[in-house]
Amino acid sequence: MMRKHTRGLAYLTVLAMLVGSLQSVQAQAVTYRIDPVHSFIIFRVKHLNTGFAYGRFNTFSGTIVVDERNPANSSIELEIDANSVDTGNSQRDDHLRNPDFFNTRQFPKITFKSTRVRKINDTTVEVQGNLTARGVTRPVTARVTFTGKGRNQRGQEIIGFETTFTIRRSQFNINYGLNGGLADEVRVTFAVEGIRQ
Amino acid sequence: MSVVIESALTAGLASLAAGLFWLLGWRLRRAHALMSALGVSVGFLVLYWRVQGRPDFPPIDATQWVFWHALFVLPLGWLAGIGASYRWVWVWGALLGALWLFAPPFLPLLESGFWQMPVGVGYIVGFALATWLLMTLSAPLGEERGLATPFLIALVGGVSAGVLFYGGKSASLAQLAGTLGAVVGVGVPLAFLRGFAIGRGAVAVAMFLFMLLWTTALGFANLTLGQLALLYLLALTPALRLLPFVQRWSPIARFALPAAILLLVGGAFVGIAYNAYMAQSGDYYSY
Repeated sequence: MMRKHTRGLAYLTVLAMLVGSLQSVQAQAVTYRIDPVHSFIIFRVKHLNTGFAYGRFNTFSGTIVVDERNPANSSIELEIDANSVDTGNSQRDDHLRNPDFFNTRQFPKITFKSTRVRKINDTTVEVQGNLTARGVTRPVTARVTFTGKGRNQRGQEIIGFETTFTIRRSQFNINYGLNGGLADEVRVTFAVEGIRQ
Repeated sequence: MSVVIESALTAGLASLAAGLFWLLGWRLRRAHALMSALGVSVGFLVLYWRVQGRPDFPPIDATQWVFWHALFVLPLGWLAGIGASYRWVWVWGALLGALWLFAPPFLPLLESGFWQMPVGVGYIVGFALATWLLMTLSAPLGEERGLATPFLIALVGGVSAGVLFYGGKSASLAQLAGTLGAVVGVGVPLAFLRGFAIGRGAVAVAMFLFMLLWTTALGFANLTLGQLALLYLLALTPALRLLPFVQRWSPIARFALPAAILLLVGGAFVGIAYNAYMAQSGDYYSY
């Protein structure tokens, strides 16, 4: 009888240790909400093969999950309001919203969802994911650099990353002006600050 | 290659395609009804392909329906040119065809909630009925020999391009509409051939495509309902030539009336759209 109780206690102890270790593994992954006030999505494209036109998206949201011990568990999800495109010229912004470019009445959102994160070195990871714009989803790979960690004025833990990558807009059916007006390559810079949840 | 040369090449290739089919129709009288419609359809397909690239099928992007509808409207264009005793088939076919063709391009606006259901359905049915009326009223213009019909429709294309550019704020829709006008305009030099007429099908298909481009600009770009209504009325102007009392006028007067309306009212309309565009921002944005 006594031996049965001892064996049962041992099983319970092992189970408790397993659950505890699983919880500690889960605790390594920290979720951050993208702070839109301190984050920026900027793009540039060459105009008439001469100068670069710059623009940004003002409204977006998303989350970043960071697992420092096992970066493969990290992820990012981002949703951009395509109507918030801002190039400093209202006529150009209207043009960008219409079917020549983003067709925002049919496709009001641009989204990115990571599928794989791979550690490159202590401050850099390679993020693979699916970018969806104008109803077309294409894989995108970007090198993301860790830019810092700290606390904001409210005492909340914050974290920063930055990445720059190039896409071809024709892959997303954004073909207007490809014949000499605007370049196909669009360089995107995403500088993000996340607030720990 | 510069943007201007590229655009000219596009217009040239599209017009050439239309002209070849119309010449075939002129030589092969029995195939005239089909060739008449094919000229505009193929010309527009060439034009779209060069401006927008290869579209998906079924389209992911609703504005790509413009390309496919240039093909799907072909039976209606052919029906427009069938014998007078079967004309009722054309009238009913155009009505049903327009209702069927105008639904797919605008359904995504209902799905995305940009249009509420009753409003959106009203728009779609309204677009289809207006298009049917425009096609059936204008198609007889295609039987008229001489350069008046292709010239006036080319003017409609020119006015459309200006309004879509400045009012609709879509350079590609403006280019499609303007070059569609140029495609029909190839009928002007061909009009010097003995007995040449572009045909009822050509007019019917061109009017359908103009209407689809304008309504696409209303749904997906910045064209207003007022601008669409005025473009629609201007597109009906060439059909004034068919009014019984106008038909009694001299050929020059029959041509001058719609041409003057298109040039003066259309020109003023483009001017107003241009001024409103310039007033929006101090700096000119030239796309």
